[in-house]
Amino acid sequence: MTDIRYEQWEPVIGLEIHIQLNTNSKLFAPSPNRFGDEPNTNISEVCTGQPGSLPVLNKEAVKKAVQFGCAVGARVAHFSKFDRKSYFYPDSPRNFQITQFDKPIVIGGTIACDVDGAIKHFQINRAHLEDDAGMLKHFTNFAGVDYNRAGVPLIEVVSEPCMHAPKEAVAYAMAVKAIAEYLDISDCNMEEGSLRIDANVSVRLKGEKELRTKVEIKNMNSFHNMEMAIEAEIRRQCRAYTLKEEIKKGTYRFDIDKKETILMREKEDADDYRYFPEPDLVPIVLTEAYIEEIKKSLPELPEERFKRYVTELHLPAYSANQLVIDKALCNFFEESLKICPNAKSLCNWLTVEFAGKLKDTDKTLTDFGGNIARLVNLIDNGTITGRIAKDVADEMILHPDKNPEQIVAENPDYRPMHDTSDIEPIIDQVLLENPASIADFRAGKTKAFGFLVGQVMKHSRGKASPSVVNDLLAKKLQ
Amino acid sequence: MKNFNQEDLDRLTKLCRIACNEEEKKTLFEKLGKVLKFMEQLEEIDTTGIKECDHVLETISNVMREDVVGELLPRELFLENAPSHVGGMIRVPPVIKSNN
Amino acid sequence: MHDTSAHELADRFKKGELSAVQIVEACLKRIALHEPKIGAFLKVLNERALRKAEELDKKRKGGKPLGKLAGVPVALKDNMHIKGEITSCGSKFLSNYKAPFDATVTRLLEEEDAILIGKTNMDEFAMGSSTENSAYHITKNPWDLKCTPGGSSGGAGAAVAAGFCPIALGSDTGGSIRQPASFCGVIGFKPTYGRVSRYGLVAFASSLDQIGPLTTNVQDATLVMEILGKHCEKDSTSLNLPWKPHKEDKKKLRIGVPKKFLEDLPDETRENFEDALKIFGAQVVDVDLDILKASIAIYYILSSAEASTNLARFDGVRYGMRSARATTLEEVYDFSKQEGFGPEVKQRILLGTYVLSSGYQDAYYKKAQRVRTLVIEQFRKAFEICDLVAMPTTPSPTFPLGSIADPVQMYLQDIYTICVNIAGLPAISVPSGFSKEKKPFGLQLIGPLLKDAEVLHAAHLFEQKANLKLSPQL
Repeated sequence: MTDIRYEQWEPVIGLEIHIQLNTNSKLFAPSPNRFGDEPNTNISEVCTGQPGSLPVLNKEAVKKAVQFGCAVGARVAHFSKFDRKSYFYPDSPRNFQITQFDKPIVIGGTIACDVDGAIKHFQINRAHLEDDAGMLKHFTNFAGVDYNRAGVPLIEVVSEPCMHAPKEAVAYAMAVKAIAEYLDISDCNMEEGSLRIDANVSVRLKGEKELRTKVEIKNMNSFHNMEMAIEAEIRRQCRAYTLKEEIKKGTYRFDIDKKETILMREKEDADDYRYFPEPDLVPIVLTEAYIEEIKKSLPELPEERFKRYVTELHLPAYSANQLVIDKALCNFFEESLKICPNAKSLCNWLTVEFAGKLKDTDKTLTDFGGNIARLVNLIDNGTITGRIAKDVADEMILHPDKNPEQIVAENPDYRPMHDTSDIEPIIDQVLLENPASIADFRAGKTKAFGFLVGQVMKHSRGKASPSVVNDLLAKKLQ
Repeated sequence: MKNFNQEDLDRLTKLCRIACNEEEKKTLFEKLGKVLKFMEQLEEIDTTGIKECDHVLETISNVMREDVVGELLPRELFLENAPSHVGGMIRVPPVIKSNN
Repeated sequence: MHDTSAHELADRFKKGELSAVQIVEACLKRIALHEPKIGAFLKVLNERALRKAEELDKKRKGGKPLGKLAGVPVALKDNMHIKGEITSCGSKFLSNYKAPFDATVTRLLEEEDAILIGKTNMDEFAMGSSTENSAYHITKNPWDLKCTPGGSSGGAGAAVAAGFCPIALGSDTGGSIRQPASFCGVIGFKPTYGRVSRYGLVAFASSLDQIGPLTTNVQDATLVMEILGKHCEKDSTSLNLPWKPHKEDKKKLRIGVPKKFLEDLPDETRENFEDALKIFGAQVVDVDLDILKASIAIYYILSSAEASTNLARFDGVRYGMRSARATTLEEVYDFSKQEGFGPEVKQRILLGTYVLSSGYQDAYYKKAQRVRTLVIEQFRKAFEICDLVAMPTTPSPTFPLGSIADPVQMYLQDIYTICVNIAGLPAISVPSGFSKEKKPFGLQLIGPLLKDAEVLHAAHLFEQKANLKLSPQL
C-alpha cells in the first residue's frame, strides 16, 4: 500500500462562474428572462435559431456587466466585441454560442474574501457577456429540448488559477455571489441555475513552477458540494500521481454518495470552437465618462460593508463576514440596526440565537420584521434579562405576529425581578444551601461566585436582574 | 498554407457533422483541393501592418435595444416546423455524452 | 401588360384604369403560359395574390389612401420570409419549413400595398452563379432557353425578364442580383451594405448579404429602394440613416475604369463595354484596382466561413428535414445534413470550417480579412478621383446549362461583382446591349458607400441614352 503524502502536493484551482443576469428580456432577443415557464413558451425566433433571425444586444445587460467590472476593480474595456463559438449540441439554437473571445468587456479584477478568519485576495482574469443555452431533459428513450433558457444573458467570470484549497474556492465563489447580489444584477440562485460554477483543478508538487494537466468539474449545485468535489478531485490526482498514473484532461461530475469525482467525458484534443467575430453584431464602445458614472452609482459593496462592520460597529471579523456574505441576512441586519443600535448583540441574536432556533422550522428571519431588534432593545433597557429573552424568543417563533413587548406584558414570569426585597430572600436561601461554595469563594476561587449567581438565577427562574444579583451577592459575601 | 489531405477532410466532416459516403468524399476532396490551391494566391499579397476588417461599416457601434419584453414566438408556430416533439419539447434521440 | 413598368402599373391602378385583379390575373395567365419552359418560380402564390388584389380593389373603391406599389405584383427570392409560406432557400432541407415571421422587406412591401406573387428559384442557400444548384429544378434564361439565367437569384432575373412580374427581390452576396440581371437583360441593384434590412433573409454570409430589386427599368428600382432603404431595429447591421434621394448637381460625371484589372476581358465583352462608355459620354479616368484580382479568394474564404456557421443551425433538430435513417443524435446531425444539403453547399461548409479551424485561421480567414481592408482602401482611393467605377458585370454573357463543372471556373463568373460586396458598396447592373448570339450584356456601375441614389441616377442616365428596348421572345 503506497502512502499518499498529500502535504507534498499543492492544489491549483481556477473557477469559471456563470452568472445569469436578471434583466427583463434576454441578451439578444426581446423574450422575457424568466424561470419556470412551460417548455418553449418563452421563446422568440432568435432564441430558437430560426433562419432569418438576427441578434440585437440588450443595453441593460451591458450595464450590469460594467457594474460588475467596476465592483471588482477590474478594467472595463473601452472596446469589446462578440464572437461566434461553434459546437453542436441540441440545446444550442444555432449550434454556435455568441460570446466574447478575445475582446471581453471586463478585464482583470480582484475578489477579497474571508478564508478562516484571514482576508485573502484572488485575481479575476476576465469577465464577459454571452448567451445561455436551452435545457436538455433526459428521458429513457429520448431527450426533450426546451429553449426557454436559450438566450438568457450570462456573465462568465473566469478566475486566475490562484486558489490553493477548496476553502479558498468556496470563499471566492461566495464573495462573487455576494457582489452580484449587492449589485442586484442576478438572483444568484444555485438551485435554479442562475449561478453555476465550474472548477478547474490540478495539483503540482510544492515548489513546482509549471502547471500540470487540469480537470474540469461541473454540475456542482451547492457550495458544500463544490468544496467536497474539489477536495475529492485533489485527492484523486494526488493518488494518481503517487501511483505514477497519468492525469488526462476531462470533464468530471461529483457523486454525492460515493464522495468521488466521476469522469463524464474525456476532452478530445482541444475542442475546436473556431471563434471568429460575430458579423451580425457591432462592437461595444464605452467612454470613460460612462464607466465613471457607473462606478459612482454603485451601492455599498460587501468588502466596504465588511470594513464598516469591523471598524465602526466593532463586530468580530467572523460575524461581520457571516452577515456580509448573505445579502438577504445583511439587509435584514441593516434594517434592524435602525431600530436597535446594539450591533454586536443584534448580530448575535440574528446569526446565533434565532438562526439556531429557526433551523428546523419553515420560518425565516424576515418573518419577524423589526421584532428581533425590539427584543434586543428590551434586554438593553433592562426590561428583561438575557436569560428571559431566550424564552421570549421561543414564544415569538410560535407566534410571529406578536411583538416582544406584548409577550412580556402577557406573561408575568417574563417580567424581571429588580426589587432587592424580592431578590434578597433568594440569595439568602442560596447561600444557606451552598456553604461549600462560600468557603471556596473565600478561599479565592472566583468561579464559585459565578456558580452562586447561577443558582440565584435558577431559583428566580431567570427573572432576577443579573446586575442586582451581582451587587447584593457581593455585599453579602464581604 | 499546407496541402489539403484526407485526414483534413475527415476531421472537417466530423467538425461539421456531415456524413459522407466514399464517393462523396472523393468528389469533395478533389474539389476542395482545387479551391484551396486557388486560395494560395493570397499568400503573395503583403498585409504587414494591415488591420483585419471586422465590419464594413467601421463607424457603427453600440447598436443596442431597451430592456423591454417584445413579441414572443407562439409555441404552436415553433412546433409546427419541428420534425418531432413531445410535451411541448423538441424530441431528439437519447443523449448519452454530455457537452458544454 | 407584361411590358408595363411597375410605376406605370401603380399609376394606372390608382387612376382606376386597371383593377388589381386584372393585373394579377394577367400575370398569372402569363405565368401559366410560359413558366413551364422557364421555371422561374418555386411557388406561385395564386390565392394569396388574388385575395390581396381583391382587397386592394375594395380599398381603392373606398377612397382609402394607397401605397406606392399598390397593384404591383412583386416576386421574392425563396430565401426571404413570408409568414406562413414555405421558405425553401432552394434546398431539400427546408422543403417543409413554414416561415414563422415576415421578413422586414415583406412587411415594407405589403405596407405599400404590393402584391406578393410568388417565391423564385435560386441556387441552394444562395450558393452558386447559375441557379443549377437548386434542389428543385433548373431555371432557364428567357433569352436562350439552353442557357442559365445566372445565380443565385436566377429565378428572380428570369421572372422579370419573362414579364411574369415587373419587380422581383433578390439577394446579393457576391453578385447574385447583378449577374442574373446582366444575364437576363434586366436591371439589378445591390444597395450599400446595411441599407436594406436582413431580418427575415436566410443568412448566407452575414457581412456580405444584401437584398435588392430586379426590375425592367431604373425608375422602378429607385422606387423599390425608397421603400426598402429604411433603418430596421431588428437588424443590428442596419444603417440608422434615412434614404437620401439624389440631388441634382451640374458637375460632370467622372467614371473610373480599372484598365489593368480588366485587361483579360474577352473581345466581345470589351467591345460592348467600351461602346457603353461612349454612349454614356462621361469623362473616363483610369483607376488602380489591381487588388481586386484577389477578390474571389477573399470572397470564398469569408463567405464560406460565415456560411459554415450560419448553416450550422440546419441540423434536423428544430425544423427542416430530419433523416428517417437517424437513430442516434449524432445520426440526426450527420444524416440530415448528408441528405438535406446539395454538394455545393457541403463543399462550402467544409471549406468554411477549414478556414476557421485551429491552426488555419490565421493563414486563411484572418489573412482574407486583412486583404479585405486593402480592397476597401483601394476603392476609397479610386473614389477620390472619380464618382463611379464602371466595369462589365460579367466577363461573358450567359453560358449553356451544365457547361461549367469546375468549381473555380464557376467562381470566376463573379470576378467583377464580388469585390463590391467585399467593400459593401452600392452597385447596379444595367443592360448594355447584346452579343452576336443575342445574349444580353450588362454594364456595372459602382458607387462609394452610401451613394445608392447616385448610382441609380447614373444608371438612369445611361438607360435613357442607351435606349434599349428589351423583351425576349417567349
